[in-house]
Amino acid sequence: MRKTTGFIRNEYLRLISIISIILFAIMPIFTLIFHVKPDDWTFVLSDSSFREAVSNSLLYTTVSAVITTLLALISAYLLNNANLKRKNLFVILLTLGMLVPTVSVGLGLRLLFGTNGFIDLIFGIEIEVRGIIGLIMGSVMTSFPATFLILYDAFNYEDKGPYDAANIMGIGKSSTFFKLTVPYIRIALISAFFACFTLIFSDYGIPMEIAGKVKTLSMYLYDQFMSSFQYGRGSIAGFVLLVPSVVSFVFDLLFKDQSVSDKQKPLIEEGKGFSVVAETVLILLFIVLFLPQMAFISLSFTKAFPNDLSFTFEHILSIFSNTHGVGLTVYIRNSLLLALLTALFGTIFTYGLGYLSVRKPGHLGKIVDLLSLSTIAIPGLVLGIGYIFLFKRTNGTFYGTIMILVTVNIIHFMGSPYLLAKNCLNKINSEYEIIGETLGISKGRIITHVLIPSSVSTLAEMFSYLFLNSMITISAVAFLCTYDNQPLSILITTYEKNSNYEMQSVISLIILFLNISARALLSAVTATFTEKEGAENDIGKGLTRYEFDLLTYLEKNGRGHYSQRKLADDLTITLSNAERIVQDAKEKDYINIVADGSMEVSEKGIKALEPYRVRKAIILAAGFGQRLAPVTLDTPKPLVKVNGVRILDTLLDALYAKDIKNITIVRGYKKEQFDQLLEKYPTVRFIDNPEFNLTNNISSAVAAIDMIDRCYICEADLYVSNPDVINKYEYQSNYLGAKVTETDDWCFRKHNGYAVGYQMGGTDCYQAFGISYWNSVDSEKLKYDLLKVYSSRGGKENLWEMVPLKIAKKNYRLEIRKCHKADILEIDNYIELIAADASYATYPGYEDYTVR
Amino acid sequence: MSENMSTAIICCENISKKFGTKTVLEDISFTVDRGEFLSLLGPSGCGKTTILRMLIGIEKPTSGKIIKNGVDITDVPPKDRNIGIVFQNYSLFPNMDVYHNISYALQFRKMEKEEIEARVREIIETVGLEDHIYKKPKQLSGGQQQRVAIARTLVLNPDIILFDEPMSALDAEIKVVLRQQLKDLQEKLGITMIYVTHDQEEAFALSDRVMVINDLQIAQLDTPYNIYHNPADQFVRRFVVDHLNQKIKSIEDVISEEKK
Repeated sequence: MRKTTGFIRNEYLRLISIISIILFAIMPIFTLIFHVKPDDWTFVLSDSSFREAVSNSLLYTTVSAVITTLLALISAYLLNNANLKRKNLFVILLTLGMLVPTVSVGLGLRLLFGTNGFIDLIFGIEIEVRGIIGLIMGSVMTSFPATFLILYDAFNYEDKGPYDAANIMGIGKSSTFFKLTVPYIRIALISAFFACFTLIFSDYGIPMEIAGKVKTLSMYLYDQFMSSFQYGRGSIAGFVLLVPSVVSFVFDLLFKDQSVSDKQKPLIEEGKGFSVVAETVLILLFIVLFLPQMAFISLSFTKAFPNDLSFTFEHILSIFSNTHGVGLTVYIRNSLLLALLTALFGTIFTYGLGYLSVRKPGHLGKIVDLLSLSTIAIPGLVLGIGYIFLFKRTNGTFYGTIMILVTVNIIHFMGSPYLLAKNCLNKINSEYEIIGETLGISKGRIITHVLIPSSVSTLAEMFSYLFLNSMITISAVAFLCTYDNQPLSILITTYEKNSNYEMQSVISLIILFLNISARALLSAVTATFTEKEGAENDIGKGLTRYEFDLLTYLEKNGRGHYSQRKLADDLTITLSNAERIVQDAKEKDYINIVADGSMEVSEKGIKALEPYRVRKAIILAAGFGQRLAPVTLDTPKPLVKVNGVRILDTLLDALYAKDIKNITIVRGYKKEQFDQLLEKYPTVRFIDNPEFNLTNNISSAVAAIDMIDRCYICEADLYVSNPDVINKYEYQSNYLGAKVTETDDWCFRKHNGYAVGYQMGGTDCYQAFGISYWNSVDSEKLKYDLLKVYSSRGGKENLWEMVPLKIAKKNYRLEIRKCHKADILEIDNYIELIAADASYATYPGYEDYTVR
Repeated sequence: MSENMSTAIICCENISKKFGTKTVLEDISFTVDRGEFLSLLGPSGCGKTTILRMLIGIEKPTSGKIIKNGVDITDVPPKDRNIGIVFQNYSLFPNMDVYHNISYALQFRKMEKEEIEARVREIIETVGLEDHIYKKPKQLSGGQQQRVAIARTLVLNPDIILFDEPMSALDAEIKVVLRQQLKDLQEKLGITMIYVTHDQEEAFALSDRVMVINDLQIAQLDTPYNIYHNPADQFVRRFVVDHLNQKIKSIEDVISEEKK
């Protein structure tokens, strides 16, 4: 039986992945066994401090994990079931703790409590946190975000249909909680508890800061390796650390459903009262969780705590000085480089693993899957010491370089991004590769052209996860980094040893700042990628025309009292319609009606309008303006002043007034004169059209073709006397026109509201003004058609608007956007210019032109 | 039917297929004529989709030969068979618009840009999608998506198009309209179509011949008329004839109800 080459290549890749996971994740753990000598066992087992460490660790880990899981359960439940407006904001706030190393939280707690801590200073209360209490507090705070996310996701994917049914049948909330919620959440809850337990059990950041004299297992391991150099004894502690994570892994493997199903959203929303309680609880929780961060942030700006509490930038500025040997900038660079490399290679690696284990997997695919998942069970500490044993001999080539740090981080954190990739690829139709085979398109091309474009947001999420975690991790990296490539997070532990609180605080703050920036940047990038997609999907699902008209009207006129009568008049609808639309918008939360009866657009309303916001304007200003000679011999027509104002300023002012500042001007004739605009309109950009005197204005539109998207395309010689011909939002693609009884100009007729029959001169028609709006879909068509006409024979002779209005008119439905003739003053020839501004009557050389 | 109907385009000889120890098809042989519309009809799991996958080349028969135009293609990879396929959910590339879904395969062949465009536009007109060139799959109806999927295969000028239950995801009323469209298209193009379905009506409405499959074997391969009037065995009688009779009876009931 012959197999296709693509099949064989994938099998090779699977083999390589299996070998690399075994080499970099499984082997390091096994080498630990060989480094334990028999007398290590006898020593450790009879070592009273080891037994103490184990029992302490079990105690505080169990207590903390129970508290954390309960808190996480409550907050996940509240956030999911209360009718809250800004759920995503709460998720971000409650998981802020993920952005700093655990040591920083421990540090914050020490700064808060204890002698001369913030609480001592403010309230005069001294609490000894070092010891079990501190361990529990710190562990709860650091493990909360991850535990919360597991439960929040679980609730998120719960089918809300049964709750609606229960609600309708009048079954009480406590009953539905125990009969519906608890059984559903049980597995997730146990899984979250295990995950939380593992996290706390193997963390040594918190113990390092706050354990005091209490011994913990992770600290025992750390000391055996870093101070006593008893590698065999440390490895034994490593095995014990491994136990809970293996249990947790096996449980997940057996019971947890990792697939993601579609959920049904609730029809019935919770009442306001419950929501207020929920909101209060969640805000309080956030404040408590954020207290340690507040502590180290404050300390970073305090001169000499606790003696001199004055505000200072001294500590922050010392980042750039060399007072600490090499200066912090080196460490910042180390951290960023490590995080970027980890995120980049880790994303590629885990996406590849996801591909290999999901797309036509076979037996090897299943092994890839199992091995990838198994990495979740390896605590970073254990992985780190395994790497020391396994790779020590590669010193200089791998060991001791940044690549070993990148590798250990990828292996340590690959579980979650791998699951993300797997779920995402699982949801993508499995037949693309077959289609590709029959069409002669290689698997590689299907990956780059179809699969990756369909997983952009997942890839960003994976990248972000790997980046943030490698910014804050101290576990595996601590054993492997050298003096030269030490990242920021490890530097904190160095300063912990000499009790330099200021430096620890400043470094924590830098990490927090870098992580927040990275997160913001990534979500901005993802948003631009998905925004377009969203805009396309929204067609037909967005606002109705009535809603749009109401919202833009309120947005424009601001908060105030609007009677139904006034609305009906201003929006030209019937009174009963106005009543219905307002009621409807109110129900959808698009508008707020305040107690005194005044009305305004709500935040949700503004969001709903967002897809319709005009993003930019393109102004075609390359032409000569022959009919305005002799004035245009000196000045391009758009820059000719009428009554002291440049013609183009009237349009630019109108655009600026509606906050449309992304403006591209295509210039050609006397192009350098346009630079003067920058003084008043600094956001204007220019594109040059060198062909302006050889072609018609289609060449200008083509010059700016990449800019066409949700934009106005305007002629440059319109003297705008009513700035309201420009809108902040447009419902659909349209062309500006004014009803006239007769015109010699270009005009169209109206058919069902849309422009048809574009022609020169007509009666009882709409005179066309050169301002048109193009929505997302039509922009794409327009680009395509413009290029097509432009590159056809004789195509360059066309006016650009001939393409959508005549040549390819069947591709477009352009609404006529009505204005009054007086809104725009047309100055088409020298006589009209003199009529508008008498001072031109005596322009030098006018005699040759006025008599035509 | 035209005279070149007599020449076979596909000839399957003694095909067997096993998955591990499980036999799915046992020693089946059949021919498909040029320009024919053939349906493969049978209950779920009878092996009809396996035949399709072997014809397209993503499964290999355990034994037996597939001959196309006189050439043994049993070991020829899918892309060199010149056979197109349309899946149940169409599998359109979600990130590409209609135009690019259709032109995608051409981009990797030695063709001028203008040539590609002319070809794609021609196909778009053939399937009547002129008004939707720039839409993404999500913005299209089920029927329109199906036409894009057909156009995507047509652009490579295949000899045969295979359909894997393409109507089963659609509403009953739309199915009837689409059936007609598909039939019209096949008549217009004169292309051979092989159509997998478990819907008896669909098979009978569309096909020149129907292959009823049961119990690893071909139960009957004949025109709809002959199958209905001379079912080969008890299974065909039950699975096809009785089912259709029931449908006819229920339609008669409705008509007589309305008359009252």
